[in-house]
Amino acid sequence: MQINRDAFGSGSELQSEINITPLVDVVLVLLIIFMVVVPLLMRGYDVDMARTSAEPVPAQTAEERLILSIEPTACRVLEPPAGEGLPADCRVTLADQKIPASELSARVAEILGSQPAEKRVLFLAADDRLNYEGVLRILDLAKSDVEGLKVEFIPAD
Amino acid sequence: MRLGESAKLQASINITPLVDVVLVLLIIFMVMAPEMRKGPDVNLPKTSKPGEQGDERGRVLVSIDDKGALWINEQMVAAQDFRDALRTAAGDDPDPRVVIRGDARLNFREIRQAMIAVEEAGFRGVGLIANRAGAQGEAHANQ
Repeated sequence: MQINRDAFGSGSELQSEINITPLVDVVLVLLIIFMVVVPLLMRGYDVDMARTSAEPVPAQTAEERLILSIEPTACRVLEPPAGEGLPADCRVTLADQKIPASELSARVAEILGSQPAEKRVLFLAADDRLNYEGVLRILDLAKSDVEGLKVEFIPAD
Repeated sequence: MRLGESAKLQASINITPLVDVVLVLLIIFMVMAPEMRKGPDVNLPKTSKPGEQGDERGRVLVSIDDKGALWINEQMVAAQDFRDALRTAAGDDPDPRVVIRGDARLNFREIRQAMIAVEEAGFRGVGLIANRAGAQGEAHANQ
């Protein structure tokens, strides 16, 4: 504070302090903007439900559908899974093949990765008894290696 | 320092009180921001890579609490009134987006029924809201 005073008047002394006021202003305004906006942003998954009518999904015949089904007997997530990820013994059925959940993202990427964007649809048949968080974690895993993958829920039988 | 130099004028503005006030305002915002969120407190599922769902303003927020009760924005609605309430909430928005905030402890059944109801009310697609595992985000709502 002491130095500022003389710097303008005499011109001979050097200003040795950096003026941090504009910096502080900008940083505080940025902070306030972030504080207001960040808590209102949401994250999640875009999904679709199979039409209740018999209207067929375009570009996707019944045989071409890639169906991922989750059975409570093969993947026991009836309660919210502890910690992160899924139980190690969780197995899911992808295109009629039982695979461990850990291989799911790679298998989905292998099957759908080379498809054109409009055919990148995964049909998900999740059992009603499963825990919602468990289902979302499997969905997260299935989507993780394919860009722009659409997910459509179909009834589990 | 000022006592000795009392004869000279202080030419620079003392920003310390300003910074104090702004910091206090910031802290107030930090504390209040979670309260500004619409809808009930929901223990959202935690997943590793949930995608961006944007700002919650301009969305129709459907919440399903841990008892399976349905909420639209701030209001609890009965299951039989759900579709009408949803259309009312969407108003005249030409492209309304519905997001579902479901409690992590629910069975998938409740979520599926809500998704069917949303679909039957005439909305195409929903967003299922989750928290990123390990990140703060909506963690404040997780009691």
